Amino acid sequence: MSTPETNLSSADTTPAAAPPMSSAARQSLLTTMIVLIRRELWEHRALWITPLIVGGLLVLTAFPIHIGNVFGAHHEDFARADNRLGMFTLLLWGQSVPQYLVMVIVLSFYLMDCLYQERKDRSILFWKSLPVSDANTVISKLLVAVVVVPLGVYLTAMVSGVLFQAIWAARTASGSLPKIAVGWDTVAWLKVQGLMLYGLLVSMLWYAPMAAFLLLVSAWARRNVFLWATLPPVIAIIIERAAFGTRYTQHLLEYRSWSGIWNVLLTDPITPESGHGRVVSLADLFDNTSMSRAFLNIDLWLGLAVAAVLLFAAIRIRRYRDDT
Amino acid sequence: MTAVIEARGLTKSYGSAKAVDRVSFAIQPGRIVGLIGPNGAGKTTLFKAVLGLTQFDGELRVLGRDPRSERNELMEDVCFIADVAVLPRWLRVSQALDFVEGVHPRFDRSRATNFLGKTDIKMSSRVRELSKGMITQLHLALILAIDARLLVLDEPTLGLDLLFRRQFYDTLLNDYFDKQRTIVLTTHQVEEIENLLTDVIFINRGHVVLDSAVDSLPERYVQLTVTAEHAAQARQLKPFYEREVFGRVAMFFEGRTAAELSTVANGLGEMRTPTVADLFVAKMSGGGS
Repeated sequence: MSTPETNLSSADTTPAAAPPMSSAARQSLLTTMIVLIRRELWEHRALWITPLIVGGLLVLTAFPIHIGNVFGAHHEDFARADNRLGMFTLLLWGQSVPQYLVMVIVLSFYLMDCLYQERKDRSILFWKSLPVSDANTVISKLLVAVVVVPLGVYLTAMVSGVLFQAIWAARTASGSLPKIAVGWDTVAWLKVQGLMLYGLLVSMLWYAPMAAFLLLVSAWARRNVFLWATLPPVIAIIIERAAFGTRYTQHLLEYRSWSGIWNVLLTDPITPESGHGRVVSLADLFDNTSMSRAFLNIDLWLGLAVAAVLLFAAIRIRRYRDDT
Repeated sequence: MTAVIEARGLTKSYGSAKAVDRVSFAIQPGRIVGLIGPNGAGKTTLFKAVLGLTQFDGELRVLGRDPRSERNELMEDVCFIADVAVLPRWLRVSQALDFVEGVHPRFDRSRATNFLGKTDIKMSSRVRELSKGMITQLHLALILAIDARLLVLDEPTLGLDLLFRRQFYDTLLNDYFDKQRTIVLTTHQVEEIENLLTDVIFINRGHVVLDSAVDSLPERYVQLTVTAEHAAQARQLKPFYEREVFGRVAMFFEGRTAAELSTVANGLGEMRTPTVADLFVAKMSGGGS
């Protein structure tokens, strides 16, 4: 490597093609947020690479997979004319499930890492040397996890679902799949997309406190973020059972983790006329769900209030701790 | 003129230990101030207080603002380099420029790219691919392009070789510093920067032990170097510190000028104003007032 001195002596002194200074226009909150979110996607590339890989792999499964793999030994029963629409919508939905599961894992690690790593490598001192408030920084990270990446996965799932259907349509045409099993239905497709978008929006709100909790641990823990995020709830459950013989903590966590979301999503009990071998169409579910009622659910809003408190705590910790 | 930094009774405790104890000082605009002290003297704590990175007791105004409550506004006018290690290793050079341009209203990208054009740094490189010296150059490029009023540097050249260190300070002085700007810095290599400092503040065990313009040091400090045979006689004049250099003895006097001292010490030895580095050693080891 040449020395810095020789670099300077050979310096070209090209006059600056100076663009007008941006100082006049104060950066708006929106611009700042976009820059901050872009920053997160630079650092945590797994956030967008993983969904693309998983989506791509799922498209590829359209080649080897057989209808029997999906519906088991009884697939002959299912391959009836009146099940065509149900199969179609179920495939779209089932195909998106792995993508969301992987997303949850990627996002969990992202949330635990994003306020911890910057302290560990001391780059927080660089970020803090710039005029960006701690509130904006922490909120941008929450937005990445709760809005940006889920919407990205939604779009990926949509595209990969269409590609999957295209491949299956081609296989059906060539006779390697039973004709009756698949078939495109635009109205049903739109309804499934609407249903999944609705599910996604409710999930974003429902799981916001979980995300904010992970952010808080990430901002707070001196080390072992993963253990701090997982052990305290487990210990709380054990202590409660030992001390009081009750299971409120456990039930609360189960409720917030998976069981509760269904109560919010499916405002009416599902009563499809499901006989043996009948596949319910998700398009029907779309028609029968009164979506606005989910947003009136009190537990949803309680959770959001908790999320706000946890987020505020995470911001305060990032603002005032000084052990780096 | 209003001070850029004004501290009154600034105190920061960690438990029962006081990292900074009732420190008061004022730094005027257009100065280059060396904050000099041994490890653990409280320099970094003081910087953290100035930058709003830590809570403290007492009064502190930076550019007229309280760094505790007005940190976000303050950081538009203040730049700092903590040390060479803080640029995130995954960051690309082009991303660093994009980001700072996106969030800093006073960032002039062309200035940064011009400076980077004079180095070996490639736009597509990640920080982890750069040498220590290049990382500092990159950080310097970002700082130079920000039209800030106060620049705080905490050991900015730590771990760099002499060429990079020299280039760093040359660039700072030639391309950055002007009478509207103020630079406050710490370094262990005092000898290298003492010519560019306009002011020095010595700090030891949380206390300011010297706060002076470099120009006015001759009015307060004088160094008398005598041969061993004259040492006893010179000692009568009560130096606050002495040390032996190549068989001769250097004695440091406080509160008197060379002219005044020469009336009583004429012919004993050579008199001169001590260097900042020598004075630092003298103050830290010998004390004085």
